[in-house]
Amino acid sequence: MNKALALPTRRDEAWRYSDLDAVARVWPVDEPDRLIVPAGERRTMTLLLDDGAEAVAIRDHPVEIGAGGTLSVHLLAIGGALGRVTFDVTLARGAHFELKAALVGNAAQTIELVTTVTHAEPDATSRQTVRAIAAGHATTSYLGQIRVARDAQKTDAAQSFKAMLLDRTATANAKPELEIFADDVKCAHGATVGELDKAALFYMASRGLDPAGARALLLRAFIAGLFDDMTDEGEHARFEAAALAKLEALG
Amino acid sequence: MLKIENLHATVADKPILKGLSLTINAGEIHAIMGPNGAGKSTLAYTLGGRPGYEPTGGGATLLGQDLLAMEPHERAAAGLFLGFQYPVEIPGVSNVQFLREALNSQRRARGEEPLSAAEFLRLAREKAKLLGMDMEMLKRPVNVGFSGGEKKRAEMVHMGILDPTLAILDETDSGLDIDALKTVGGGINAIMRAPDKAVLLITHYQRLLDYVKPDFVHILADGRIVRSGGPELALALEREGYAEVIAA
Amino acid sequence: MSAPLKNADALEAVRKASDYEWGFVSDIEQEFAPKGLSEETVRFISAKKNEPSWMLDWRLKAYRHWLTMEAPDWAKLDVPPIDYQDAYYYAAPKKKEELGSLDDLDPEIRRTYEKLGIPIEEQKVLANVAGAPRVAVDAVFDSVSVATTFRKELEEAGVIFRSISEAIREFPDLVKKWLGRVVPMHDNYFATLNCAVFSDGTFVYVPEGVRCPMELSTYFRINAENTGQFERTLIVADKGAYVSYLEGCTAPQRDENQLHAAVVELVALDDAEIKYSTVQNWYPGDAEGKGGIYNFVTKRALCQGRNSKVSWTQVETGSAITWKYPSCVLNGENSVGEFYSVAVTNNFQQADTGTKMIHNGKNSRSTIVSKGISAGRSNGTYRGLVRMAANAENARNFTQCDSLLLGNRCGAHTVPYIEVRNPSAIVEHEATTSKISDDQLFYAMQRGLDAESAVSLIVNGFAKEVLQQLPMEFAVEAQKLLGISLEGSVG
Repeated sequence: MNKALALPTRRDEAWRYSDLDAVARVWPVDEPDRLIVPAGERRTMTLLLDDGAEAVAIRDHPVEIGAGGTLSVHLLAIGGALGRVTFDVTLARGAHFELKAALVGNAAQTIELVTTVTHAEPDATSRQTVRAIAAGHATTSYLGQIRVARDAQKTDAAQSFKAMLLDRTATANAKPELEIFADDVKCAHGATVGELDKAALFYMASRGLDPAGARALLLRAFIAGLFDDMTDEGEHARFEAAALAKLEALG
Repeated sequence: MLKIENLHATVADKPILKGLSLTINAGEIHAIMGPNGAGKSTLAYTLGGRPGYEPTGGGATLLGQDLLAMEPHERAAAGLFLGFQYPVEIPGVSNVQFLREALNSQRRARGEEPLSAAEFLRLAREKAKLLGMDMEMLKRPVNVGFSGGEKKRAEMVHMGILDPTLAILDETDSGLDIDALKTVGGGINAIMRAPDKAVLLITHYQRLLDYVKPDFVHILADGRIVRSGGPELALALEREGYAEVIAA
Repeated sequence: MSAPLKNADALEAVRKASDYEWGFVSDIEQEFAPKGLSEETVRFISAKKNEPSWMLDWRLKAYRHWLTMEAPDWAKLDVPPIDYQDAYYYAAPKKKEELGSLDDLDPEIRRTYEKLGIPIEEQKVLANVAGAPRVAVDAVFDSVSVATTFRKELEEAGVIFRSISEAIREFPDLVKKWLGRVVPMHDNYFATLNCAVFSDGTFVYVPEGVRCPMELSTYFRINAENTGQFERTLIVADKGAYVSYLEGCTAPQRDENQLHAAVVELVALDDAEIKYSTVQNWYPGDAEGKGGIYNFVTKRALCQGRNSKVSWTQVETGSAITWKYPSCVLNGENSVGEFYSVAVTNNFQQADTGTKMIHNGKNSRSTIVSKGISAGRSNGTYRGLVRMAANAENARNFTQCDSLLLGNRCGAHTVPYIEVRNPSAIVEHEATTSKISDDQLFYAMQRGLDAESAVSLIVNGFAKEVLQQLPMEFAVEAQKLLGISLEGSVG
């Protein structure tokens, strides 16, 4: 984001669900570092957003993946009054982008993820799996756009978003968007918002689990698996611990 | 009826058929057998006019008409039916709707009156019964949610309704259990064994030939027919394997 | 024959001149409002319609507000600037007196509807299709309603079926109560414009407990040149009432663009149900993108009562540009909203269409099924909003959005917004994008269908879930229309 840029407004699609008061406190944000994955190479990125309750964290990640390159991202966003992560990814021929993300918010947090994945050339693939949990007065939002350029044939792009609301005062927003200009492509997205499975809760209660324990178990199951394929064991442990602590804090 | 002369064809610029010649007369049933990659399906698709299967030399005529010059639907109207190894799913379009449009489109091309809805349903019911297929299945979308066996059975119902002069059946026996094989075999005999019709069976195995007795058996290898004979050739293949028989 | 080439053949087959067979012009003596848009225009229209002063005041208020507004620019549409002064806002066939009966209808108009196949003569309807479901028709020709049929029979059932101009004069209290309740005057640029200059349209009131004895329909025809059509439709289904309403539209083939900015408001009270079906076939412009209707329409339903239900079904094949989001505000407990849509764009057409389902009531449910088909150099966008308010306990939504691309010069886009504030609400959204596979095309052709029929059949299969929702006779028309609209497109 350029420093010269004006403060975003609700009219800016990418900011329509944001906490603009919080944004104003830190605006303008620093110029982001562009990540370039060279052709044929493989990179991983792990991002744990775990700032303090008052903090405003806005992370912007422009990414270019060269032909045949791969980027695999794991993201856990649980901190800050506003925690916002943006990925703007452009894929060259045969490149692959994979994102697994969990957004968890409580109190008055706004946790949001904005992704734009552009398949600029043929044969690229992308997978995005995002899980969101909102409790208290929190808002979790996922704005995920997949763009397929003209002639980017044989694109294979999939996106899955699932959100869970734990309180009547919480909000979940989603905008899973497709913009497609090539015909020989496989593009699909699915988005669901719902609550914890009541039948499962009852089943667990009948086996003797207390409601809080049952709920915690189901919530862990909800984001379980997202971080299983992290290659760095230390990072993996750090993510698991942070996620668990956050879920327990939801109470 | 079908005359194939020195046919050459390529798939993705790769030569697959390399001078195949074959004549099938009315009233005859021929079987083509051969190892994987010999060009069996390519032969079926080239004759059917499938995009990507490019004839590069020689010719093929059906009842004197130049097959290779025609669009796929014109070949169908001329009397050619292709039984697919992998029948294609068409969501939202029922078999009944599909076949009625296809049949009437063929009839119009031949200058015949289209069938009314009632006439068509009578015909469909008759053929479904012949192939042991529930009419309800025909009301479902084309091949959607059908098992492998059901798809092949549906292909035979298509054949029964469209009533072709020449049927080329590409591995119609694959994916069938014994009962289904019997029904399908019986169906081929009932529909196609007639003095003015002919069949080209493409198969890997002898077992379908137990139910549909071929008059001639050909072995296809490397894009050419390398041996021809009677039903005994299929039995020899089953016993000795392709390598042996081709070498012989 | 190589694979891509084959597909191109099919494309070419469908590309052959797209004939818009409704593109003729009727030669009718008409009177126009002075060209351009001003308070004078608004007063002229109101005076022409002998409106009460409250109506004129309402229009003027809207006009003054419209002057302060800006045209929306958020849709995925490339809308050329519109010169609102370079158009007529009112055109009506000259008539001698008040129409005593349908027999007094200008024969040329009568011929126009005959050519369009619209039954505006009851006798004929009765004679021709004995036993077939009868349809009452309100025929709107440019800015005025020229005929409504079966009035007497409907009145016996207590159903009011009138042009909105007549209703304003005859049932002012009913109109006043609901007009602008669902789509407020300041709602959006085009709706506000409509409030100021709306010309004619249909008013339906189905009283408590009445099941409307026949399908009601309005047939909109733009005939005059350089003339905008601004129809206004208001349908109120009182408690326990049921009505099925059909809307069709065509326009002559012209090189310049014409504006159509309609507002449709539906109100369903307790246990009431409204089924609203549209086959939109405005002139789409020619194969080079010249001419065609700008279709900027605001359609909204208020499911106010408990167990109320509104179902929108639309088949959109026409118009150069479509901007349209038939929506449901689900206030009632257990209320139900449905949106079934097929939108076809070909050549240079642009469509940005979808729905909004606003869930406020407990146990409210909504279903969205959208099938977009893009061909030629066109762009089709599904844009939808599903909002679950904090008090929408146990509300449910299911959305299925599928796009089919025919050829690689078109675009298909999906822009859903999901906003959930109630933890017991469940929203499910799925979207896919596909093309007609070469396998499907070859399979259908091997069975005897030519490329065009094969494409049409496969497209109809793709859209089946939606077409099924249409009343029988409309469904047949819609199926044919899908085939015709894609002439000049793909495989």
